[in-house]
Order: sequence, then structure tokens, then C-alpha cells
Amino acid sequence: MTLHLLKLWAFVQRDFLSEISYRLAFLMQVGGMFFSLLAFYFMAGMIDPRSAGLDGIPPFDWLLVGLAFQYYFSTALYSFSSRIRNEQVIGTLEAMLVSPTPTSIVIFSSAAWDFTYGAIRVLLYMLFATLCFDVRLDLGSALALVLGVALTLLSSAGLGILSASFILYFKRGDPINFLLSGATTFLGSVFFPVEQLPAWVRPASDYLPIFWSLRIVRGALLKGQGFSELQGDLVRLALLTLVLLPLGVVCSRYAIRRAKQDGSLIAY
Amino acid sequence: MANAIEAVGLVKTFVKARSLREILVHPFGRAERIPALRGAELVVREGEIVSLLGPNGAGKTTLLKILSCLVLPDAGRAIVGGDDTIHENRVKRRIGLVHSDERSFYWRLSGRENLRFFARLYDVPYRRTEARIAELLERVDLQDAADRPFSGYSSGMKQRVAIARALLHDPPILLMDEPTRSLDPVTAIGLRDFVTTRLRDGQGKTVLLATHDLREAEVVSDRVAILVRGRVRQIGTVSEVRRWGVRERVFRLEIDPHPGPLVGPYRAIEDGPGEGLRRLVVAVEPGASLHDVLASIVGAGARLRSCSEEQPDLEQAFSRIVSAEADDR
Repeated sequence: MTLHLLKLWAFVQRDFLSEISYRLAFLMQVGGMFFSLLAFYFMAGMIDPRSAGLDGIPPFDWLLVGLAFQYYFSTALYSFSSRIRNEQVIGTLEAMLVSPTPTSIVIFSSAAWDFTYGAIRVLLYMLFATLCFDVRLDLGSALALVLGVALTLLSSAGLGILSASFILYFKRGDPINFLLSGATTFLGSVFFPVEQLPAWVRPASDYLPIFWSLRIVRGALLKGQGFSELQGDLVRLALLTLVLLPLGVVCSRYAIRRAKQDGSLIAY
Repeated sequence: MANAIEAVGLVKTFVKARSLREILVHPFGRAERIPALRGAELVVREGEIVSLLGPNGAGKTTLLKILSCLVLPDAGRAIVGGDDTIHENRVKRRIGLVHSDERSFYWRLSGRENLRFFARLYDVPYRRTEARIAELLERVDLQDAADRPFSGYSSGMKQRVAIARALLHDPPILLMDEPTRSLDPVTAIGLRDFVTTRLRDGQGKTVLLATHDLREAEVVSDRVAILVRGRVRQIGTVSEVRRWGVRERVFRLEIDPHPGPLVGPYRAIEDGPGEGLRRLVVAVEPGASLHDVLASIVGAGARLRSCSEEQPDLEQAFSRIVSAEADDR
């Protein structure tokens, strides 16, 4: 276990060092976050606070959580596949896969920095929002929030690994990202409540982890809801995680084996 | 001496990429498969350097990738350090792969930072990591440049970092894929010396080295294996392989000036004067020995000053072996 954590840390260090070597880009990203919040702040001013689905949460606060977590969810979804593809293209994947570290650990750890950076971004969004935009957080249950974030991380990692499996085998043309990125935006209650959509579309949201994640985070962080109130959403998210994470792991093992048989593991 | 590497009847085919037209015309047609290895057999003993030679597309890189557990064979077995390559984790602990590809590093990081990252992947004990990296950097003579970005290294320096990386976990077996491909002659000589003196003689490492450079193979190898169209056609010491397909032994003789004709069990390839001597290059006829040749010359009253055997050329032997494979088809 310690060995795996050290490996995970090595990936974080590697990508952090690469990232800060582009100093200007790093600073501009942080600046960009502030300006996107500013844009959302004024856009939120046009939204009727009594709109269906906001549940009494001020529009900007509601959007803030959607914006911060949508980035996190996208990171999880894209980072495994894009990192693997990047390592294939820059030529470092072979060097990693010839080491005694199992391929599954290499894939899983490759996104460690993106997750860390994603978490930092969420915190920065919250910090900017509370300090500069007068957002008042009302923490109902820290346990529910932590569990919700952890389940979000695991379920989206499952989808991300599933997506990386396609990249390992097909190299390009990953249907998971294609389907989910659109579905998340429309059905995930990210930028508008799902209640705004026609009634017949809404049940599809139940199968998206981000929909439940955002309900939990908004409930725990903005509405002051306790664990018991969020229990149902946590169970649903846990069930999705139980399906998605093993599915991702099984598919990645299959993809790795097939790619080794085809000799295309490091091809791009 | 035990075997470090054994390839037993290795077969590998790859799917040929289909053109868009082929896909549209025969969407469910089976893709053509291209053979890369067709029953390759190879044994490398512990502590020896074996060079793997072969024309382009002979299957050298495929063989190295199977031995590195990056590609699974269709048939046959590869045993590395006593373990079948299906036991990936055990095999990977015993091998170090030196790529010729400079891209296999993170160019924004320094040489030391790269090695630190790979040390984690190679399970180098945490407390030993810095000392091990320093030791390796010193061994490949890179300690002064260790903290400079990898992007600023010369090709030779990059190759030395690649060797240091392959040695991080101190594996007994090294697989090298054209390690001197992009190096200047002086750096290449230094690297060859490092492989023979430090790695084999000093540490008893086994090295399987794929190369196109026949001179390199002659200099570093205990044995060479020639792979043609997915099969090892010849394996032996350099002098054994050089003689392959050579039916006559050729000798260069120097005798005192002797005006008369010389007749013996040989065919004269060259016969002429030079610096007060008569120089002869002769090919010994089948069934005759050098002793018969010398006896006939001395018997004719000539006085022998020197005699040396002409070594067949490895390059010519390589061509003969490759051509013989083409003739067999």
C-alpha cells in the first residue's frame, strides 16, 4: 500500500514539476478561474431565484457548485484517456510499462496530478466565491460532503478508466467521453436544474453520477442538509460507483491484454 | 553457465492496417496478418553479450518487446531469468530496457528528476533512491549535468540517462535496442567500452543488444545472432559467424624473392612483388590443410617470411546469410 502511495506521489510530483515549468500558463489558469466566476456572477443576476429546481439556493451559489464540480468531473472523465494518449504520443508509455509497476497502476496514477489540481481548483473557486462574491456556505454535514466527493471521485474514475481502455485499444475515437460530456452538460444539473427539461427526459439524469454528486454537494454545502437528508442520494451514488469502478477496471484489463496481443500497447 | 534468456519457437504476427477503401468494400473481411517472428529460437547465457543483427523488419524489436513483456507472443515461450514472460512482474524485475528513443523521457524535467520518477516505478527503496541515482549518474558521468533540463542534453547524454534508468533496479539482464544509433563515433566507443568493461566484466550483466552496426557487434559481442524474416538463422561467436558459407580458408604469405613458379594445393588470388618480398594471397583447396600449402612452397625452395590467415568479413557473412534465407523461400 505504501509503495502504491509513493508511486502515486511520484506521478503528482512529476506532473507538478512539468506544470510549473510553464509558469505563465499556470498563473493564467488561476486568473482565468476568477474571470469565469465573474462572468457567472453577472449571468446569475438574470436568473429568477424562484426558478424550479434551485430549491431556494441563490442562482450564483447554485451555479458556483456546478461550475467547480463540472470541471472536477470532466477532469476525471478525460484525464486518464488524455494522459495515456499523451504518454503514447510523447513516447514515455513504453518506458513506464517496462517497469515492474503493473499497467493498471500506471493508468490509475497517471491522472493523480489532474485530480489533485482539480481539487485545488474546487477549493480556489470556493475561496474566490466566499471572499469576493459574498457566497455564504452553510455546511450541513461534513461527513456527507466528504463521502459525496469521494464517491464522485471513484465513480468518475471508473468512467475515466473505461474511457482510457478505449484509447488503449482503439487509440482514438472514444465513445465514452463523446456520450458523457454532452449528457453531463444537459442532464447533470450542472448549469441549469434538470427540472427545466421536459419531464420525459429527466429520468435519464438518474444514471449520471454527477447529478447525484451535485445534489449532495449543494445540499451539504449550501442548504445545510444533514446526513440523514442526503442518505438516499449517497446510496444512489454509491450504487453507480459499485457498477462503474469495477467495470472500468475489468475493461482496462481486457484492453491491456488485447493491446499486448496486437502489439499496439504503445502505438498511437 | 545458466541461460539468462531463452526464446523457444516464438511466433508473432501483427494485423495489417486496412485502408479506408478496403474497410468500405469488405467491412467484415478479416484483416491480413503480417508475420514478425516465425519460430525464433535464441539462447543467451548468463554474463554474455549477444548482438542481435538482422535487416530491417527481421523481427529484432518485436523479439525485444516480447522479452520485455510489452507484447504477447502468438505461440512459443520466452523465458527471462528463469521465468516465463507470462509472469510479467517477476520478469520485469530482472530486466532493464535501454531505448534508442530519446523521447522516452520527460523533457521539461532534469535528468535527476526523471530518474527519481522512474526509481519509484522500479521500486527502488525510498531511502536508497537518492544514493542510487547519484551512484548511477556518476557511473554514466552525468553528475555535473544532473540538474539541468533533459531537453538541453546532447544525444550522448540522453543515451547515458537511458542506461542509468535501465540500471536503477540493478537488473541482471539488459536489453538494448540500438543504443548507439544517434551517437557520434567517440561517444559510441565510450558506450561500448562501458557495456563490455563495466557491465559485463565488472558486474556480470547479461546483455542482448539489437543493432544494425556490424562493427559494434564485432567489438562488443561474445556471440552474434542473425535474425532474418523472423527466424534466428545463425548464432555463434563472431569468428564462427564470419566463416558461415565460406568454403575456402584464405592465407596471406610473404616469401623471399623466388623467381620460379609455385604449385601446390591452393588457388592463388594474388601473387606479386612488394618491398623485396614476394607476396601471395592463396585460398586453400578443399581437403588440403595449411601444412600442405606451406610444405609445397618450402619444398619448391622458397623461404617463408610470414603467414597470416585472412579473416572473413562479418558484413559479407551477414549478406550471405540474408541471401541464403531469400534463396530458401
